Amino acid sequence: MSRLNETDIQGFVLRGYNLPVARYLFLHFEDAERARSLIGRLLHHVTTGQRWDGGKPQSTVNIAFTQRGLAALNLPDATLLSFPVEFQQGMKKRAGILGDSGLNSPERWDELWRGDLVHAWLGINAQSAAILDSRYAEMLELMRETGGATVLASQDAAAVVIDGKSTTREHFGFTDGFGNPDYLGVDRSSQPGQGKRMPNGSWAPLATGELLLGYADEAGELPVAPVPHILASNGTFMVYRKLHQNVATFRSYLDEYAALYGGGKEKLAAKFIGRWRDGTPLDLSPDNPDSSIAQDPNRSTNFTYGADAEGTRCPVGAHIRRVHPRDAFGFSGRLINRRRITRRGLPYGPFVAEGGPASDSEERGVIFMALNASISRQFEFVQQQWIEYGNDAHQGNDKDILMGNHGGRGKFVVQGDASRANPPLICSKLPNFVELRGGDYFFLPSITALGMIAMNLVDPR
Amino acid sequence: MPNKNGSVYGLTILSPIIDDEKVTPSHDLQIRKYLATLPTGELSPFALAPATHLARLVVMDDVIYVGMPACEEHLKSKYLVFESNCDGELDDYLAGLAASVPEQLDAIWSHCVGYPGAANRQAFIDYMKACQLETTFYFAAVNDKSVPETLRALQTQHAVSEFIADHQGMEPARLQAEFMQFVAELKLAPVPRPGSMGEPRYIKTGGRNE
Repeated sequence: MSRLNETDIQGFVLRGYNLPVARYLFLHFEDAERARSLIGRLLHHVTTGQRWDGGKPQSTVNIAFTQRGLAALNLPDATLLSFPVEFQQGMKKRAGILGDSGLNSPERWDELWRGDLVHAWLGINAQSAAILDSRYAEMLELMRETGGATVLASQDAAAVVIDGKSTTREHFGFTDGFGNPDYLGVDRSSQPGQGKRMPNGSWAPLATGELLLGYADEAGELPVAPVPHILASNGTFMVYRKLHQNVATFRSYLDEYAALYGGGKEKLAAKFIGRWRDGTPLDLSPDNPDSSIAQDPNRSTNFTYGADAEGTRCPVGAHIRRVHPRDAFGFSGRLINRRRITRRGLPYGPFVAEGGPASDSEERGVIFMALNASISRQFEFVQQQWIEYGNDAHQGNDKDILMGNHGGRGKFVVQGDASRANPPLICSKLPNFVELRGGDYFFLPSITALGMIAMNLVDPR
Repeated sequence: MPNKNGSVYGLTILSPIIDDEKVTPSHDLQIRKYLATLPTGELSPFALAPATHLARLVVMDDVIYVGMPACEEHLKSKYLVFESNCDGELDDYLAGLAASVPEQLDAIWSHCVGYPGAANRQAFIDYMKACQLETTFYFAAVNDKSVPETLRALQTQHAVSEFIADHQGMEPARLQAEFMQFVAELKLAPVPRPGSMGEPRYIKTGGRNE
């Protein structure tokens, strides 16, 4: 396959920006014509996937729409009805399939997401808070001038700062953001372990159609996409989930079980996730964190579970092993190649260092954004089968320890061996460490498609 | 033997449904209505009768030709499809159904052509076998273990993991004493009833999970 047309693809799709601060605006369109004129004006601001040969930009802007948003823009019904069913329904209606019940159920979500008013997501990332504010003001001015949209709410997110330095840690203290897949045609410094596993043990990029509409996917098919083709092509779907983290609960639970565990608290924390807090994969370094591995792109994601079938190094139910099983299901990993997602996102809320006064009620968590060509085949499958159910991982009804909607009844098994430093442990009565506070499904169109929407030229025939 | 995988039997039965225009509602609709009211948990007829791992009953109206060029063709009859993964020999399994849930079997199959009733045990077995198709290939969703063995294993797994979770870090002498008591109690515990170990599941038609 030839290189993708990076100028036609929103930059947010092709790369994680690694900019430290972000603000996500949730827009409502009152008038289709004015909204289209806003999109037309925004076109000049939207960051594309073009290479940053001149250095990283100071800030970026990207946009995506809900089904209601596309309807408010007066797209033809024949186009609207051609989107995949799960996108048309939106995330709230998919709660049953996703296991978003109990503490995660839509009636407990933030007010913004309980309603049906969100039409678009406008994401701004920036080098600093001051730059973010000025880009934000620029966006508000565009909306004021065109009268194209009102801002229902905004969500700030930022990399956790420790000792004055921006980090990739999340609020439980783990280094996050490893291991997004590589895709064919996407120009990106590729890392072993990030694509699909080949029978000879090497790694190759996934088919482009696992990320972008309009290209063949891992089955050799074009992903289900709306008509006309040119509206869909070079676009993708985004899942937005605001995931609240119960930091106090996590820390006290870890302390409680560390007291029963002979391997020590930090090792137990690592067993939950499958990586030590600094990111060192347990499978490569089961006894100690090793920053030389965690910081080496040739090693940090370059591992498999085939030689650890018993889970004595990385537990079979550890978070990263469940959501990205690599070769754990056999068949050289081929069973998972159509279940991969690309993650974007940042933490929100103030970071509290270990030992500091953390409470569950403070606003704190991670904005999880996943990109995939098929929400139902990729994100929803992972959420339903690998997070909320354990059968594929031979974990019965056990849910993912970190993300699972346990409701106080969950269980997590740490497999061990006969050594004193690596004993087995059963963690039971799992609380919800993470709670869903809302979100939705979005369509992230290409630059061409944005132009068609702005000019009211979407024609399904 | 193509219908068997280890000790588990993959049974496929197609019984033609009576086509009688004088009957309203028609026999296929009467079967559908009855099936929709069947319980799915411990009170399911397949939980009350022995040896069923999983079973499915489907009313097949017709099959539609989807090739090109289009052509119209039809089955000669509507069929009741019965699929079951069960233990042991087929005669024993069918005899067990007839002995345990004859009313339910009669309520379903009395709408099928030539059904003799469950009361006449041998005629019932002969009828079911006359309607049988070779399964040849099926999804082996169960290990090579009988239904009571599977239920016992699930019970043991749940109990042992709960015991470990509640006794981690306990002083060894006390742990041993409690473990011996636990094992003794587990040995005496009755095998759980079929259909009692899982979350309740309701009858679903296709597409509900899409």
